[in-house]
This record gives sequence, C-alpha cells and structure tokens, in this order.
Amino acid sequence: MTSLTEEDKKKLALDFCGLKFNSPLVLLSGCVGFGEEYTRINGFSNTDVGAICLKGTTLEPRLGNPPHRLSETYMGMLNAIGLQNPGSKIVVEDYLPDLDFTETRFIANLSGSTIEEYEAVTRIFDDSPIDAMEINISCPNVKEGGVAFGNDPEMSARVVEVCRKATKKPLITKLSPNQTDIAENARRCIEAGTDGFAVINTLMGMTIDINSRQPIIGNNQGGLSGPAIKPIALLKVHQVYQVAKQHNIPIIGQGGITTVEDAIEFIIAGATTVGIGTALFYEPLVCPKLNKGIVDYLDKHNLDNVSELVGTLKLHG
Amino acid sequence: MTHPATRNTLYVEQAELLSQDEYADQQFHMRLHAPETATHARPGHFIHMQCDASLYMRRPMSIMRSNPKSKTIDVLYKVHGQGTDLLSKRNIGDKIDLIGPIGQSFKMKGYKKRPLLIGGGVGIPPMVFLAEHIKNTAKDISPLVIMGSEIPFPFKSRPSQIMLKEMPSDVIAAMPLLDDWGIPSRLTSLQDYPGCFHGYVTDLTRHWLDQLDKEQRNEVEIFSCGPTPMLKAVAQLAKEYALPCQVSLEEYMACAVGGCAGCTVLIETDKGPAMKRVCVDGPVFEAKSVIQFQE
Repeated sequence: MTSLTEEDKKKLALDFCGLKFNSPLVLLSGCVGFGEEYTRINGFSNTDVGAICLKGTTLEPRLGNPPHRLSETYMGMLNAIGLQNPGSKIVVEDYLPDLDFTETRFIANLSGSTIEEYEAVTRIFDDSPIDAMEINISCPNVKEGGVAFGNDPEMSARVVEVCRKATKKPLITKLSPNQTDIAENARRCIEAGTDGFAVINTLMGMTIDINSRQPIIGNNQGGLSGPAIKPIALLKVHQVYQVAKQHNIPIIGQGGITTVEDAIEFIIAGATTVGIGTALFYEPLVCPKLNKGIVDYLDKHNLDNVSELVGTLKLHG
Repeated sequence: MTHPATRNTLYVEQAELLSQDEYADQQFHMRLHAPETATHARPGHFIHMQCDASLYMRRPMSIMRSNPKSKTIDVLYKVHGQGTDLLSKRNIGDKIDLIGPIGQSFKMKGYKKRPLLIGGGVGIPPMVFLAEHIKNTAKDISPLVIMGSEIPFPFKSRPSQIMLKEMPSDVIAAMPLLDDWGIPSRLTSLQDYPGCFHGYVTDLTRHWLDQLDKEQRNEVEIFSCGPTPMLKAVAQLAKEYALPCQVSLEEYMACAVGGCAGCTVLIETDKGPAMKRVCVDGPVFEAKSVIQFQE
C-alpha cells in the first residue's frame, strides 16, 4: 500500500465476510476489467484496495451490446456494456492465473439469464482461487436475467439460494436500486444465505440525441453512475443496513463515491467497505488519496480502526 | 480482451498548456508540456484529458506531434461539444490533467516503399505524427499524405514545392509543415478551396493509384484516420486495390485503460467476431478486420 505507515495501515485493515481486506476500498465490477487493467497506469497499485470485483461473467462468452455504450450526463454517465465477457471457463483458466492474489482480494461477479446459469457459473468459480463471489442480480443492461431477478425479492432469493448450495465461498449479493423495497429484498437474500451485500448497482436512464431523435446509447437505455446517484445510493445503504446489521451482514456501499467525504458518509450510513468505480475514470490514482483521507478522519475523531465508524449515523429524532 | 495488461506503461500527468492557437471554425492547436507522454508516444497513440475539472468524463484526443527533447506534445481539436468548448477556454500556463500515451500505435516496421497517409478532419493529427516519424526514421521511404476537410484547414495551405506527376496539375495545395519536411501532401474538399481537389479523399486516392503501374501499386500501404464514413470508404478502396490498410478508430470512452469495455468495436479475429476495445486493443486496427467496414 503506497505512502502509509504501518500504524496507518492497521487503521484501514478490516474483515469482510471472513476475508482480510487491507483497505475499505473495493474496485467495482465493470470498471476495472478482469483486475489488471488499471495497473497499466504508472503509480496505480492493486495493493491500495481491499478487493477488486472482476467484470460480470456468464457461463458462455457474450459479445455485449452494440455501440455507443456510453453517454455523459450531469455529474455522471450512462453505460450499457451488456455483460461482454469471455465466459467463466476462460476467466478461471486464462485470467485468474495472471492475478497476484498476494496484492488484494479478488471477487468474481456472477451473471446469468437463468437460475441454472447462475448455479453453473458459481460452481466454476467455486473450483478456482477466487476469494469471493458477487451475485449480480441487478445488471440493467441485458434483456434476460440481471435486474429481472433483482427487482423481485422472490426471484432474488431463489438465485441466492442456488448459488449458496453451489459454494462455501463468501457470497455478496449486488442489489438493484430499481425496485420498490430494497430492504425487503435484502431480508429475503439474507434468509437465502447471502454473506454480504453490494449496494447499489446503477440506476436505469436514457439520453437522447436531439438531432437524430435517437437514444445515444445503442441499447437505448443504460445504467447511471457517478456523483449524480450518490444521495440515492447513500439512502439505499442506510435502508439495507437496518436489516443487515441484525444479522452482521456487511455491505459494500457504492454509488458515485469520489471524495474522502463521500466514502466516510457511506461508512457512517452502514457500509463496511466502499466501492470505487466511475471515479477512477475521472481520477485513476484516487485510491491512495482516499486511504490517506480516511486515516486522517479516523485520527481526527480518535478512532483506531475504520470498522468503528460503520453505521454510526445519528438520525434526527 | 487482451490479457494481461502491461503494467506501468501509462502516465497521469499535469501537463502545462504552453500555447493554444485558434484557426477557422473553432479549430485549436495546443502545445502541452507533458514529459512522460512526449517521451513514450508513438504515431497513433492518444491522450485522455480532463478538458475542465467541472466535467466528470475525460475526452480522448489524438496526438499530432511529440517532441521527446522539448517534452512537448501537440494536439489539434475542433470545438464539438461542452468538453472541447471548455478546453478552448483554458489559459496558457494552466495545468491539464491527462493520461498518456494510450493505445496500439500504427505498425510501422518494414514499411512498404509508398506509405499513403489519408486523414480527414479530426483524423488529420495522427497522420502528421506518422509523417514526421517516417521522416525521422525511414529516410528511403516516400510517403504521400492526402487530407480532406469540409471546413477551412487548420493551417494556411500553400502551393506545394514538391511536384507529383500522378496528381491532377491543378491540385497543388499542401500543408506547409509537411512540404518543409519534404513530404508531399495534397488537400481535398467539396468546398472549392483554392488548389484543393474537388471531391473526397478517396476520389483523389483512386486517381493517384490509377496513375501508378502495377509494380508501384504493390508498394503502397494505406494508413488512415478520420470520420467513420470516410474510413469505411478508405477500407473499401484498399480492399478493391488489394492494399494493406491500417485505420485508427474513435468511439466514446470512459476509462481509456481497458477497464470498462465502453469503447468497443466489432472486429473479425482468428476465433470469429469479437468486441475489441478502441482504447487499448486499438485505436489502430487492420481495416479488413473492422466488421462495420465490410458491409
């Protein structure tokens, strides 16, 4: 971990679903490829984060959506990649051996069109060195599966249940904000055996080219990320935390986190760890700054470890 | 996707804006002090810059010139939207956050004897970079540059001092910088600019190719960058004449380091069609592999 003393590193080290994280920062699925892409940048180190969530992976290879896949919005962006990936077998056999598991924890992101596909992908990653798995039941950019499972608590629970039976590795369920009652969904997923949550995935949105009168995104709609969604994400983390804390289920809080203050807000709201995604596109070397800023905050508030801050929100009466 | 990534090959720099000159139709030529990018850039590489701190997404920009001695790079752009508008208002001395140099450069080993560089509009800069590279590294090679634009060129053209018998005698307008380097260039437009060929870059290319004998044509290799319809026409011309052709593509980009797969294009590979990332698998591809150019 760059530019921190041994004492400072201890303040950031934490336990997440039984895994040792050296920082509360988690790089988010879909933003960092299969774990090595950002190491192209001089000064970037995977050791600066607690974990890296790999790109969404399905049983078979997928080409993903046609271009354009991106569109800029006020303080954010839309994306509709469509789960482009080489298939779980290639990821396990060709990609995982290239990862340095001494640097950080690696979390697979599981996707599928059917419950059986989720189960099959889970089994393939179960037989691999991967540290944990994130169940993506909230991808807004594919026609089948994804958010169709995530917006229905019953279906969400069924997906978690089959994945649970297929592995003993930690399972983190990525919840959709595009649903009526996220807390109820969280409750059902806990019953079905999830070990953790990622809150939230992107929000569905659209941008239009007024000259062609067509959506800018090839998929017509996409998922909104970036600072524009931060207040929504923060509220969803707070809501899920009310359920999750009763079962000691930790949360990766995510949605537009860009600054130290953003990260600390999410931790106060109930997130044990904080996801960094779109912010990397703006500032690729943001992680060491966030680590240092969190340490400074802990020092200022006489806290010995970041976990002491989790869920310390003081609501107005 | 290409895997694994090569570590520590891209640099985040706070590049100082040294100059910013405006040309017609809101075209700007900027020079930046960017030591790492200037040291490592190759023709076809690009930078990903924060046009302004208020914008959340960066903008990819091709590199027009790179000088490792002065540690400077030149960028040519046209104001197209909010990002480039804010960029055009940056002041001399400002620090501009950029990542560079990114991407796969043009494959330049073993040039054919007659590299033909075709640039259109915003695709002109990489052709200048490539021309300068050829001048500096392959002195026995005779490149020709053809540039097209439907707005006034971002330089004051002048009659070329280099005669080309294969070109129409009234097509004499050239880019002075290239002329000074001894590299012939010719300009095309539908706008009736003096000395320019009236037509598309591909029309003039066809005229030139048809003046060559078969042996000379076999010595031609095309390098091109420009708007997608132009690149498609170039790719199809290359196919018609059975010439090797590399094209530099563009697409909306978020990360520019291969992380998000937002900038992909459909490419024919040995294993069938694949979505390749313009940022790190490209931006330069073999024209014949770009599936949208085959239709």
